[in-house]
Amino acid sequence: MSTVGGCLLGVLCCASALGCSGCHHQEQPAEANYQAIDSVPLLIMQIQKCARLYTTEYHLHKIITHDDVVKLQGSFLKQNIDVKLPLGDRKVAIPMDATLKGYIDFSTFSEKNVERQGEKITIILPDPKVELTSTKINQEEIRSYVGLVRAGFSDAELSRYEQQGREAIINAIPRLGIADRARESAARALVPMLTQMGFREENITIAFRREFKPYDIRRYLEM
Amino acid sequence: MEQKHTDRLKTVVRVLALVLAIIVVWWLLFAEKDNHVAVNVDDGINITPEQIESIRSIGQWEFLSVSTEELVDTTRRRLLRDDQLVRIYYGTLRLGVDLSDTRGDWIQTRGDSLVATLPKVKLLDENFIDEARTKAFYESGSWTARDRELLYQKARRQMLSHALTPQNLQSAQDNADQQFRQLFRSMGYSNIVIRFEN
Repeated sequence: MSTVGGCLLGVLCCASALGCSGCHHQEQPAEANYQAIDSVPLLIMQIQKCARLYTTEYHLHKIITHDDVVKLQGSFLKQNIDVKLPLGDRKVAIPMDATLKGYIDFSTFSEKNVERQGEKITIILPDPKVELTSTKINQEEIRSYVGLVRAGFSDAELSRYEQQGREAIINAIPRLGIADRARESAARALVPMLTQMGFREENITIAFRREFKPYDIRRYLEM
Repeated sequence: MEQKHTDRLKTVVRVLALVLAIIVVWWLLFAEKDNHVAVNVDDGINITPEQIESIRSIGQWEFLSVSTEELVDTTRRRLLRDDQLVRIYYGTLRLGVDLSDTRGDWIQTRGDSLVATLPKVKLLDENFIDEARTKAFYESGSWTARDRELLYQKARRQMLSHALTPQNLQSAQDNADQQFRQLFRSMGYSNIVIRFEN
């Protein structure tokens, strides 16, 4: 057994020695093939099928302003500190244009949305929704004022303020009345289509029904 | 005797001073733990109004939306070091038909048959970039408003070339066919023919 074991060990040693020596005699590895990466058009796309009827369009204008004041703030010995430091101010004004569109989602439209009573027809549509479809910064009209000892506004800072302005526009949507306008415009868009199908205008009714979500039902139950 | 008395007094004073110092240090370190002072800069924007410039009624059917983002950069060669500006732009291209492009008689019916001639599927809005969502990726050197505007136009061209493809237009047209058939079928029409203008 010890002889067999010794032979096996010897074979293994020889094999490893050959392998190691073979490594040295191997050809130099070929140069790695480097794949050129085009760093410019890094693209991520999301394609989505849908059926939306955009019925109203709002163009908004907003001037985003920011005042940059350096302050020494805090608390020492239970005394609040809020002191403006004399380092100079920075101010910037960024004009922005935004487009909002109200739409009706027809993806779930079916026979349930159509009620016929003889020559009368009623189309029941879901409540319109609003989408911010585009924003444009007027780069040439951006104005900034920077104190002597302060650094100018960086691209990252300007982008941050623009994103905040975009959020402010989204928060203002409920006050603009886009949904009501979208309802009126939906009727204006659909009635001509239905009259071409042979219905008389006085026999056409466009109605809207809200799609209740769980939190809506909970809210109404609490009332 | 007097010397002894003086020495004792000095010792007492030293001990009292030491105890007082310990009390003051303890008070500053542990009792006033919430001492903090920092240099702060308010990073928020001011509250300004949103002005409505225009409102208009439209009739645009969207059948395919392509959401895309593009990494765009520009480089300025200098003697010692190159300046570089890299930004990520976001946009959504909406493909569909505009009802304002239809002819007066684009729907024709006879009994339960209907023939609809829809306008060509196209990009519904030339303004599709959400520039306020743009992310600043990297900046070195100083850049002007014109440079940023040129980057915007470059991103726009790239988005159009990547998203406004014949395949996407065909996909939008196929979806338009399917959705209009569903719409007209819901109205009670069983024989439906959908055509698209060239």
